[in-house]
Amino acid sequence: MTISQKTAWVQLGIFGALVIGWAALFIVNGTVFYWQDESVKMTFYWLSAAAFAALVIMNIATSILKSRYGAIADERDKAIFRRASLWATGTSYTVVVALLLVLAITYMNKGAEAISVYFPLFIVLIGGATLLLTQAVAALIMYGRKVEHGES
Amino acid sequence: MERASINNRIRRLRFDNGEMTQEELAKRVGCTRQTIIALEQGKYVPSIELAFKIARAFGVTLEDVFQYEA
Repeated sequence: MTISQKTAWVQLGIFGALVIGWAALFIVNGTVFYWQDESVKMTFYWLSAAAFAALVIMNIATSILKSRYGAIADERDKAIFRRASLWATGTSYTVVVALLLVLAITYMNKGAEAISVYFPLFIVLIGGATLLLTQAVAALIMYGRKVEHGES
Repeated sequence: MERASINNRIRRLRFDNGEMTQEELAKRVGCTRQTIIALEQGKYVPSIELAFKIARAFGVTLEDVFQYEA
């Protein structure tokens, strides 16, 4: 397993855990529109902050390995991550558009008071997590499949 | 439309060159051992640059290593 493949697994672990944490929060406390409890909001933010901090730490560790051992990703790793990023961008864009539609429909049906002022930040966080989770999943799928250099 | 495929003889050439290991070939051409494994299994089609490096590592021409089938 290459270092790039290992980082994809770590990224999947981090953002898989974040999505499970969010899902548990939504199941226990309902949708984000109606959260009045500050502690629930803070739990959401702390979960997100922990995941993104873990990603930063992983990237620092990868940079240290790179400076110590030289290039740790070859052209196949780069081709896989380039394609995985394309998939991830498309998926993330779709999720963000869907959430913006939910926001617009809720606003039209129930008015501004039904929408948390934090909702745009939720959209950004969920879009970012979707991007990184999809990138990891797509990269791991492609490591097991046929890849062509320059194919996108 | 049927996709073209590129096959290779890397495994055969490694054995013909004193049973060169995948690790050794990877070091010579500047890629990871996993990429050599993927190439031998037909799971990766390399760039022109890597293809030339592999051919040079065996001291043969590009077409002795890679075969194009349309």
